[in-house]
Amino acid sequence: MNTNSNSYVMAFTIGLCVAVSSVLAVLATVLKPTQLAAAEFDRQKNVMMAAGMIKSGDPRTRKELEALYQKQVKSIVIDTRDGTVAEGKTADDLEVLNDEARKANPEHTTAFRMIETALTADGKLDAIILPVSGKGLWSTLYGYLALEADKNHVKGIQFYKHGETPGLGGEVENPKWTAKWQGKEILNDKGELVSITVKKGKVNESVASEKRHAVDGLAGATITSNGVSKFVRKDLQAFGTYLQKK
Amino acid sequence: MTSTAAPTATPEPKAPLFGPEEKRVVLDPLLDQNPITLQVLGICSALAVTTRLDVSIVMGISVIAVMAMANVAISLLRNMIPSKIRIIVQLVVVSGAVIIVDQVLRAYAFDLAKQLGVFISLIITNCIVMGRLEAFAMQNPPWRSLLDGIGNGLGYAWIICVVGAFREIFGSGMLLGYQVIPDAMYEAGYVNNGLMVLAPGAFILLGVIVWVLRWLRGYVEN
Repeated sequence: MNTNSNSYVMAFTIGLCVAVSSVLAVLATVLKPTQLAAAEFDRQKNVMMAAGMIKSGDPRTRKELEALYQKQVKSIVIDTRDGTVAEGKTADDLEVLNDEARKANPEHTTAFRMIETALTADGKLDAIILPVSGKGLWSTLYGYLALEADKNHVKGIQFYKHGETPGLGGEVENPKWTAKWQGKEILNDKGELVSITVKKGKVNESVASEKRHAVDGLAGATITSNGVSKFVRKDLQAFGTYLQKK
Repeated sequence: MTSTAAPTATPEPKAPLFGPEEKRVVLDPLLDQNPITLQVLGICSALAVTTRLDVSIVMGISVIAVMAMANVAISLLRNMIPSKIRIIVQLVVVSGAVIIVDQVLRAYAFDLAKQLGVFISLIITNCIVMGRLEAFAMQNPPWRSLLDGIGNGLGYAWIICVVGAFREIFGSGMLLGYQVIPDAMYEAGYVNNGLMVLAPGAFILLGVIVWVLRWLRGYVEN
């Protein structure tokens, strides 16, 4: 057979492409549930890391960690219009609730938002974990910011997905940097939301407001740092009514 | 490049499963024909993924899997591939194999897949893979091509594992995530070498490894 005739080349190409894509399609379909479960587990781990329940590289097995999450992390739905907790509502109700809120007032696009709460072993509220996300330099960063039960002091921050430059903006993952967030406050003395600013350079410890509301910037990653400041403020403001409610 | 589509009708079925020829095919790429140290191929990923040993191991295994799969597939098709389009056919097969590995990693080793990020996909552009397909699988039967793929994959894997181990020990004082440099050393003023975590550290290390291996094997570039 002449393997270089045009018709043979066409037939071969089509055959090969169909064969390869069928194999990949089948594989992708088969692996999808496992991949989604793995991604969800990764998210759960990051929620728990933000809340300080586990450390990175925890030696416990996946089963144990998933059980821990089931037991000590509870999702709650917040009505951000007045900052109350929508009792008994779950993630499944979000869409319906938001649709109703939008009908009542078109300005309220996402009145109801979900957050996670971490409980201590005996069921007391230990931390409030808010999702934070926004643009850095190259990419959208996704993370969790955990607050103490007083809704003021930061308990931890954790980024689980981003595409920033490793070694520069990628340092948002560095535990040494995220540790600097601990103990910072998002509210001022009057109980108003001031959020936390990522400074350019080092925090001046002698300035009270900086000591309370700012963290050191990432060297060589000004745009990522500014991005983090901006979207943390934006996301905290989204929950402002809830956070300022005593 | 010479045209390689001409059918090579070798009486292969009679060849031994593990004759001297087969042994050579697997063992040569480990040292004397090592793709990294001798042919200096696949350097890009060798620099990028070797900050830690566990990542290097997974990358090594992925490359072995891709090379084995692609080599066998191309070898099976070698008499049917039109020579005009053989490179693009090889590329399709390699891409398919890489996507398979990527999807499997995402399902069963999510953390490491996240660490490796784009570098798994970039195996497609790793010249070792294409090089072996073009130079070996297009002329040889499937069994030998499989061995050749595994051999070259191993040759790549062990080098990046050595680089990864060095970089992890000297860059972060750990090996596979366990601390190996005792706290006493740090208290005595020892500091991790930041250069090792960055790409230049890998460059220097790789250069040293290439030099040592070439010196050991008495290789001289013509």
